[in-house]
Amino acid sequence: MMRRFFAPLLAVGVLASGAARAEDTLSPLHFQSQGWSGTIDKAAAQRGFAVYEGVCASCHSLHGLHYRDLEGLGLTPAQVAGIAANVRLANGQPATLNSRFKTPGAISMGGATPPDLSNIVAQRPGGTRYVYDFLTGFGPPPAGVSLLPGHFYNAVFPGGQVSMPAVLRDNAVTYADGAKASTAQEAADVAEFLTWASDPNLSARHAVGLRAVLFFAFLTIVALLVKRRIWREEG
Amino acid sequence: MQMEAKQAGLTCLCAGWTRKDRAPGAPWAATLPVLLAALVLVLLASGAVLAVYYDPRHAFWSVQGIMRGVQGGWLMLGYHRVGAGLVFALLGLHLFRTLLVRGYRGAGAMSWMLWVTLLAVLLLTGWLGFVLQGGAGGHWALLNATRAAVMMSGFPGTVAMWFFGGPAGGDTLARLLVLHAVLALGAAGLICMASRAAKRAKPVPNGQVVAFWPVYASQYFAALAGLALVFSLLLGFAPHWGQGMQSVFAPTPLLVAVPVSYPWYLWPLARLAGLLPGVGGQVLAVMVLFVLLYALPWLDRSNGAPPRRLYKVLIWLLGLDILVLGVAGPMLAALCSAWVFFHFLVLTPLVTAMEAA
Repeated sequence: MMRRFFAPLLAVGVLASGAARAEDTLSPLHFQSQGWSGTIDKAAAQRGFAVYEGVCASCHSLHGLHYRDLEGLGLTPAQVAGIAANVRLANGQPATLNSRFKTPGAISMGGATPPDLSNIVAQRPGGTRYVYDFLTGFGPPPAGVSLLPGHFYNAVFPGGQVSMPAVLRDNAVTYADGAKASTAQEAADVAEFLTWASDPNLSARHAVGLRAVLFFAFLTIVALLVKRRIWREEG
Repeated sequence: MQMEAKQAGLTCLCAGWTRKDRAPGAPWAATLPVLLAALVLVLLASGAVLAVYYDPRHAFWSVQGIMRGVQGGWLMLGYHRVGAGLVFALLGLHLFRTLLVRGYRGAGAMSWMLWVTLLAVLLLTGWLGFVLQGGAGGHWALLNATRAAVMMSGFPGTVAMWFFGGPAGGDTLARLLVLHAVLALGAAGLICMASRAAKRAKPVPNGQVVAFWPVYASQYFAALAGLALVFSLLLGFAPHWGQGMQSVFAPTPLLVAVPVSYPWYLWPLARLAGLLPGVGGQVLAVMVLFVLLYALPWLDRSNGAPPRRLYKVLIWLLGLDILVLGVAGPMLAALCSAWVFFHFLVLTPLVTAMEAA
């Protein structure tokens, strides 16, 4: 019954999202993962993984993740196996589905160690937006600000100086789905990818939570009515 | 025929447990012990699943592995985290209500002391749970605690050494995991004992009993459904509320957690402990608090009649004070902590003696 009712709606929804394939998440900037009922935007997160793999992974580890976890982004096992096979681990062997994400060699950027990104979104207030703002926050220092050696100006980073240079630029990666790889698009996509990396169960949690809340709200009302009736009759 | 006999047997078996008659018209707050017991069962069950996958030697990454790699692991972590928070919320409510209706006097003294013991056991269990997550905050909390334990001498030092086994090392968390589980089982036992003691203290008067089924069963069912509703709201939409960000950082020597940010249910106690300087002072402040809570039935000089308005206002003030204490800055926290001691040591004997006069 429910399925019969919702199937046409679902079909319309799929068609609509298909028509809006070149979906614009930048004007205005929004992330599908945000909000109380947010879900991971898998297309954006897949693009974000391409950005991570192409740009971030040379310095930042993602120790909490295994390559098999990428199936959670909607990639097939064969696609993930292909991705893993292209990665040479430290021992020279190609990665497999059950390998952890490759850890880059020890790096020091002017004395700073690039942080692990597994939980970066959970580790910063407003994490998703922070990642985007940070990655697009680089620029020339304002007048009167002199930078420490080996540091770069970033308007969002506490203190305004960071050891990481601006690494995103237009067309730093080529997107498989044909989206235009502007700097802002890359930053937004990698923010959505890292949101998923920090909380891979976000979509499931919201779905399960909503169903449980609806069920128990209904059950609570029924139980209260039953209790009132019994207490009126017996009490 | 056999079926019927079986059913009859089952009914007989359950009858002793469910058919107990009770006094009519219990308030909703009287369901709190049952809700607490339900939550502790959820915690024991989810904790048993978590313990299967938990590795005390790689605590942080094993918890991450449960969240990311174990089927439904995130749900188990959520049950455990949300359940722990709600246990403290409900026990706090129960203690507050007992204070408000003066349920700790006379025959109620035994169950009051058992509930206070439960609070102490749960706070310790909660602290251990926070440490066992292996995040940067828990790592530093453990380092500080074991360092202080090693420095202690005499009997407190012996107890601390027995508890931690020495300075924090690779195997300390394995040891604390066992203590965490044992204390949790102890908490379940304490809830049973406290409920029994409360029932004994208040026998049902003859002639005005109501059957448990269906009168009380319907009330418990509604209360449990409401609890499940709050539980799923938190689980689905705010599972990390009040947990502090330090627990999502892996412990590295480069990351120093100063001050340690505890989960919300430890906030009031952590600030109250800070009232006196030094580790000895912290331990002393907490111990004095619990001694006062245990001694409350005797600090109260009233004749056991229901409290009058002034005393009720003071209890409400105390509740508010503890809530503020949880989020206060250092100055206000000192004031709020001092008020807690002032309330039990000065105001309670004074006001209750005035009531008795």
